[in-house]
Formats: sequence, structure tokens, C-alpha cells
Amino acid sequence: MAQLDIDRVIIGCNKGDEGCFTQLVDMYGKRCFGYFYRLTGNRDLSEELLSELFVKLVEKISTYRGGSFDGWIFTMASHIFHDHLRFKQRQTRLLDEHSRRIRSQSAGIASGYDGDADKMQIVLGELDSDVRELVMMRFYSQMSFKEIAESRREPIGTILSKVHRGLKRLRELMG
Amino acid sequence: MNNSANENLRELLAGFMDESAARQTAEDIEKGEEILGANQAPQPDERVLAEVKKNVVAALRRRRTVVFQRRILGAAVAAAIVVVSVLTLIRYGDQTNSQQTRVVAKSVSIPSRVWEGADDADVTVLKAEIDNIQSELSGAQSDDGGNTSTAVGDLETELIEINGDMWKG
Repeated sequence: MAQLDIDRVIIGCNKGDEGCFTQLVDMYGKRCFGYFYRLTGNRDLSEELLSELFVKLVEKISTYRGGSFDGWIFTMASHIFHDHLRFKQRQTRLLDEHSRRIRSQSAGIASGYDGDADKMQIVLGELDSDVRELVMMRFYSQMSFKEIAESRREPIGTILSKVHRGLKRLRELMG
Repeated sequence: MNNSANENLRELLAGFMDESAARQTAEDIEKGEEILGANQAPQPDERVLAEVKKNVVAALRRRRTVVFQRRILGAAVAAAIVVVSVLTLIRYGDQTNSQQTRVVAKSVSIPSRVWEGADDADVTVLKAEIDNIQSELSGAQSDDGGNTSTAVGDLETELIEINGDMWKG
């Protein structure tokens, strides 16, 4: 997708053009859905988070100050995913202080998987949640390691090491 | 755009490890990403994307309405301040010209349709405050006692405070 196209669409969004916002959904909807699905393993929840992301975009588009739009939108997607995790953790605490919390931390969000999860989804569930999120961020956002490091405010060496560890493990498990 | 396609992974890794380790690490990363590419996540239904677009358009229209209501509110508050100021001047300047005062004070009235459908809490609170001031103003107008000028002065102060709150958001 050409940078000029994105720039034109973003200018339209800033003017409140409905057509430009729907174009953004066409440009990023599938990739963002894939990102949410690989993190949650749940189709319904991914649909919900996708909708939340684009509604949030309407409020926040004016805060985009140039640079990689892919990086910007996936950073927002990551915040929405984390908000969801925090909400889920609060719910879990209310329901059952001990057993539920332990399950959510050890198995991540695997408990929410669809019945028809593919092998990749199951393998991803084996990765540490932070590593899994970084691998997905890198794959779906197509951000460079430098951009990911800036977005996460972590040293680039740490990001490289985590993504390498995650992808190597994924390769072993899928092999 | 500095994205993954434009990045020289081996060069980047060479800054952290020796050449052979960098080559091996880059290969692990590339092969891992190839596996991810070969095992794509399911795609969302067209129905889902259509629903997302619908929600986005609705959010956009809600935002426009709120912005419009805030602009109208700002204009109404500013107009009310002007009217109360004029009213004060008239009271001080010409105590006998009560007819003129009544005519000016009537223009404080804010069209009710501006508030219809308002779902913003700030707008609702400010509306209530303005309604309250309008009723106090009507009371002050009909007041024949000696405290009218003081009451109008208080109202003016209150309106200035509300206007300040309004622009602070």
C-alpha cells in the first residue's frame, strides 16, 4: 500500500470524511483482525476488539503526528488488547480470586480459544505472552525492529532477543 | 517509511553479536516469519467489516454532534454574558428605562432544540446551569426591590465562570 494513499486517507479522516474512515477499515481491518485473533484465539472477541479499535481511531486520528501509520495503529491495537486483558483480570478476580487468576497467568488467554483453533494458535499459546505479542506485532504491523523498540520503549537488543526466541520456538514446535 | 521490508536484519544483528551468530539469528527470524505467513489467521467475514464500518460512521456522527453542541453552547454563553453586561449597564445608566431592559433580557433565551438529543454529560450540566441562570435572571427582572443591580452582577460573575469552564473543556 503506497504511503501517498495512506497520507491522502488520513488527511480525509482528519476532515471527518466517512469514506476515508471506511477506506481505513478496508486497508487495515484484516491485518488487525489477524493480530487480535492470534492474541486471543477467539473470533467473537477479535471482532469486538476490532470494532473498538476503529471507533477509538475516530477519536484519536487527530493525534497522529506523522511517521509510520502502521506503527501508530498497531500500537493503539496493542493498548486495546492490554485494556481488555486488564478488564478480564479484574473480572477474574471478582469471580474467583485464586484459581481463575492462576489460570489466566499461566495459560495466558488460551482458555478463550475457539473450538476450531488451528495448530498455529495452539503453538502460539505455548509462548510467553509478552514474546507472543511481540512476534504478532512484528508480523502483522510489518514494523521494523527499531519502530517496535520505540513504540514499546524497550531497547532494540531486548526486542530482537525476544522475537528471535519466540520465532525459534515456534519453528521447533511447528516443525 | 522504515518498515520490516526495508530493514537489513543481518546488519542490525551484527551490532549485537558476531557475524556467524547474526547470520543464524537472522535465519531463525526469517524462517519463523515464513511459517507464520504460511499459517495465516482466519479472515474476518465481510459482515464483520461492514459492521465495523457502520460503528465507525456512527461514532463519527456522534463526535460531530458533540462538537456542534459545544460550539453552540460556547456561542450561547458568550451571548448571554454580553446581554447581562448590557443589562447591567442599562440598570446603572438609566434606572427608569425598564422597558428597554425587558427587551434586552428576553434575548438571553437559548433555543431548546440545541439541547435535544444531547448525550454529553458536560453539555447537560452546563445546560442545567444556564437554565438556572435564566430563571434567576427572570426573577431579577421582575424584582422591584433595591437589590436588582447586585443580583445581575452576581449572575454576570457566574456566567463568566461557566464560560471559563466551558473553554477549559
